[in-house]
Amino acid sequence: MRLRLLSLLLAATSATYAGEFDRIVHAIEAHYGTTRTHIPLMGVADSFVKVARPAGTSGFTLAVFENLDSSPSYGQRAELDQFMRGVSGGALHSLVRVHSRANNESTYIFAGEAGRSTRMLIATFQRNEATVIEVKVSMETLLKMVESPERARKFSGSVTDH
Amino acid sequence: MRIATIMLAACVAPLWAQEFKLPANLDRLSAKAENSVEVTLDGSLLRLASRFLSDQDHDQAKAKKLMAGLEAIYVRSFEFAGDGGYDMADVDAVRAQLRAPAWSRIVGVKSKRCGKDADVYLKTTENGQIGGIVVISAEPRQLTVVNIAGTLDPGKVVDLSGRFHIPELALSSQYTERTESK
Repeated sequence: MRLRLLSLLLAATSATYAGEFDRIVHAIEAHYGTTRTHIPLMGVADSFVKVARPAGTSGFTLAVFENLDSSPSYGQRAELDQFMRGVSGGALHSLVRVHSRANNESTYIFAGEAGRSTRMLIATFQRNEATVIEVKVSMETLLKMVESPERARKFSGSVTDH
Repeated sequence: MRIATIMLAACVAPLWAQEFKLPANLDRLSAKAENSVEVTLDGSLLRLASRFLSDQDHDQAKAKKLMAGLEAIYVRSFEFAGDGGYDMADVDAVRAQLRAPAWSRIVGVKSKRCGKDADVYLKTTENGQIGGIVVISAEPRQLTVVNIAGTLDPGKVVDLSGRFHIPELALSSQYTERTESK
């Protein structure tokens, strides 16, 4: 009975987090009138990016969006902030927001509890594309990412480059 | 006499309970800034951190100890392409909330040469503990405002400096108010 309850709880937790990732991805699709880019062999990509993945992270879910600049509102910081504020919440806490005009880039880091671990969601918006990654992280790694959002941006870039 | 004491306590209590909130106008600076960083470590995340950080690992135990007693850390940092990217009214809106008796400025540095202002305010609780700290670092092309809420000791403040985009703070345990003009 206890085991059944535990497995139900674990299933509910993982569904919540899959739900948060999907909710953000669907919101981006709806807001910018786009669909995520299909990445061949995405299902097995996790095993290939082990080399690039920083210590203290495991498993990831990724969505990439291209040609976002076709949307007239894309690239406006205030609008993007408002949009991301709207889609965050629920089980995810907004931790970091970084804007760089020189790189024309905005990075948002969210975190939440995932059973006995933590989940980090990184959303990076560049000139005409965006990446959303959800990854399981140790709290130590999460705090390092908060201290240096550049690491999160590099991690996000390393996954999409593979 | 007892009624007078209760009434006095009721009047003074809100002064001690003054909560500091980052003004909304700071968020608007993000649109004007060349680079901006916003860090929000609220109570739920800090509680989560204390649950998941290990007591066995040296670095994690240190981080856990650092976060114990903290209620929230908020950092807003903006870099501008040129001078005058922000108005002093933006800074004054922060300072206006930091009034005695709850808040006291323990460090005030003004450098006329490089136009740099740095202020550190402490919130003292009714029982004399540090209940929060606000740091304002204003340079011609950079503005950083930090709000650390919760029970702190001076050593913890020093340990937090340089982390989570909090400016480096060289505070001694003996706080002195000083104003430097260079």
